[in-house]
Amino acid sequence: MAVLAERRPLGDNAKAWALNAPAMIVIALLVAYPIAYSFWVSLQKNNLKRPRAKEFIGFANYQALLSDHAFLSALKVSALFVVVVLGLTVVLALILALVLNEQFRGRGLLLSLALLPWAMPGVVNGLMWRTIFDAKTGALNGLLTQLGLIDEYHAWLTSGTGAFLFTALAQVWNTLPFSVIILLAGLSTIPSELYDAATVDRAGAVQRFVQVTLPWLLHPLLIVLILETMNAFRAFDTIYVLTGGGPGDATTTIALLDVQTVLTFTDFGLGSAYAWVITAITLLISVGYIGLLYRKGNFEV
Amino acid sequence: MELNRRQILKYAGLGLALPAASPLLSACSNDKSGGGGDGSVKFEGWDYEAALVQQNLDNFTKTSNIKVNYTPITSAQYVQKVVAEFTGGGGPDALYVYDDSLAGWVEGDYLQPLDGMAGVDEVYNAIYPGNAAAMTYQGKRYGLPYYTDSNCLTYNTGILAKAGITKPPASLEELEAQAVKIKSAGLLQYPIGVPAQLSDTWWSWVWALVFGSGGNMFDDQQTPIMNTTDTVVKDVFAWLQQAATKSKVIDPACLQLTAVPIDNAMKANRYAYTIGARYASRDYNDATKSKAAGKIRMALIPSLDGQVHGTVSNTRLYALAKDTKVKDNAFKLLTYLGGLDANKQPYTAKFWFLQRGLGFAYKSMATDPEVTAALEKFADPAIYAHLGEIAKPRNVLGVPWYTEFETEMHKVVQGVLSNQTQPAAAVASLAQTVETLKKKYN
Repeated sequence: MAVLAERRPLGDNAKAWALNAPAMIVIALLVAYPIAYSFWVSLQKNNLKRPRAKEFIGFANYQALLSDHAFLSALKVSALFVVVVLGLTVVLALILALVLNEQFRGRGLLLSLALLPWAMPGVVNGLMWRTIFDAKTGALNGLLTQLGLIDEYHAWLTSGTGAFLFTALAQVWNTLPFSVIILLAGLSTIPSELYDAATVDRAGAVQRFVQVTLPWLLHPLLIVLILETMNAFRAFDTIYVLTGGGPGDATTTIALLDVQTVLTFTDFGLGSAYAWVITAITLLISVGYIGLLYRKGNFEV
Repeated sequence: MELNRRQILKYAGLGLALPAASPLLSACSNDKSGGGGDGSVKFEGWDYEAALVQQNLDNFTKTSNIKVNYTPITSAQYVQKVVAEFTGGGGPDALYVYDDSLAGWVEGDYLQPLDGMAGVDEVYNAIYPGNAAAMTYQGKRYGLPYYTDSNCLTYNTGILAKAGITKPPASLEELEAQAVKIKSAGLLQYPIGVPAQLSDTWWSWVWALVFGSGGNMFDDQQTPIMNTTDTVVKDVFAWLQQAATKSKVIDPACLQLTAVPIDNAMKANRYAYTIGARYASRDYNDATKSKAAGKIRMALIPSLDGQVHGTVSNTRLYALAKDTKVKDNAFKLLTYLGGLDANKQPYTAKFWFLQRGLGFAYKSMATDPEVTAALEKFADPAIYAHLGEIAKPRNVLGVPWYTEFETEMHKVVQGVLSNQTQPAAAVASLAQTVETLKKKYN
């Protein structure tokens, strides 16, 4: 008891470190170490098929990307995929959030239904859309035939453009609800007095949207843009199930190429370099978004 | 010793943490259960008919008194998981190997050659040369045969008969003409189906068409010849493009179909022709699974000139891990599974054929009355044996970049089928791919 009485109490900083230490150790072991290790691997020639050829090659894997046709093609597909998915997601999520922000009968049901796709894993989402787009028994073919819009069943995923657009659509369907939630939360924070004042100033619906709603939504939109860009750039499971990256290279995104390089070709060095490029690009885009939108939101609101 | 509250909590925490940590620690270690003191063999394979495999292994244990710890691994991830195990130092003692993984796994120091071991020469003398070649790498023999198959043209006699066709096509031109006839008769919109969705598995039908017309993509030094001395590949691609986009007898939906939907379509009388493994005919002709039962037959691969040239084969083998600590017992298991028994009979190869129709590498089985009787239920034994004789493996399996090439070829062929790539550009692109891959792996 005498020993306990003499012990000096821990300071706030020490207590904070002590309490956070277990979590930080676990994060360091499970997150930081693998990330750092993958960077180390990306600096090596490291293919499991040729373990004896393993060697440190510095940034040669990164340099090789500049003339890597598969990588450049996948980068182009990924960029286009991000633009299409992001454009559709932001527009549709904004419309849906504005609708769900209104009070009307059945709003709760509509909200629940709108959130449903979010609960679906990417692989299941891909399988569902593959069934819908099926050339022989697909629901899309059935619907369009019954509506008299097509005479015979089509193989929707066999043309490059078709496969790309339908894959983007499947991705949007899966990730849209998350954006809706973020924007809906943002909409609910806008004081109604602002709309009242704008109405008194005889502002129309478009002016109210541009002058009141949009500035208040810049920060939620920023979050949506960052997260959806990352999602679209890293999209893998839906595309893998739906098209496998084809036809040809039409839907081979950089994430798909990365998984293929690591798991099918067992080229861990090059695959890790791909992964770091994906990380660097999404980081750059995120910083760009923050630079463009974050301050603007603060000043105008 | 007097315990206070802090000490009690400390000891309780330790007591709870230790059992929790033990499995974690043991999972991190490179345990090799096969190398245990009891001489048991750690055996791994993909999960095809795991119950039957276990039944066969139980029989081995009963007769040899050697315990086998068998782990079936999902086939979709078999290669990756085994590579991960060997890399981590905890691989099996004996295992299944795909012929297209063999070179990489030898280079990776996972496997050991079987040359000089008892009965190996005898086995290699008893099997088809194509299978022996597929299990040999840089002059050394690495496996005993699990099963093999070669590709054939599979056709539906019921649909052909309705269109007034009495015999299968010998040439690709004839195949297209027959398919047009079936289409014109209103029997099927697209009579030919092949699995052409991008996937990790090889597209045997492309190789079969090339070999079937006497061509090859590579010479014996693995130099690409598809755009130089060998015009067969380009001509086969031209035929594919014509059949897919001009006469429209190949189903455009093939680009989104893997092997299983093609099998289902054959069983539902929705395709008249496909090109694939011989053993599929057994399933197609199984009345409990197929509406086309009794109508499906196999033929040699149609060629550009109508002559018989060959087809492609694949081989699945049993191999021995390089670092096994129970080499003798593991080799006894290998011999039981892939070799000859005391009566000089391929016991397990016959077991698999009779049970599931898996193709066999042993030449003697082609004339075994029990085998031919079983074969007659779903195929013509003469054609089946002929396909086995003329089949050959891909001569590019020994290069480390084969998987990358195969993957690229799928994309190119998709471009040909969808009219986005012309045949000349396709072969040029494939040759360029090979050059790039060779530089990468040098």
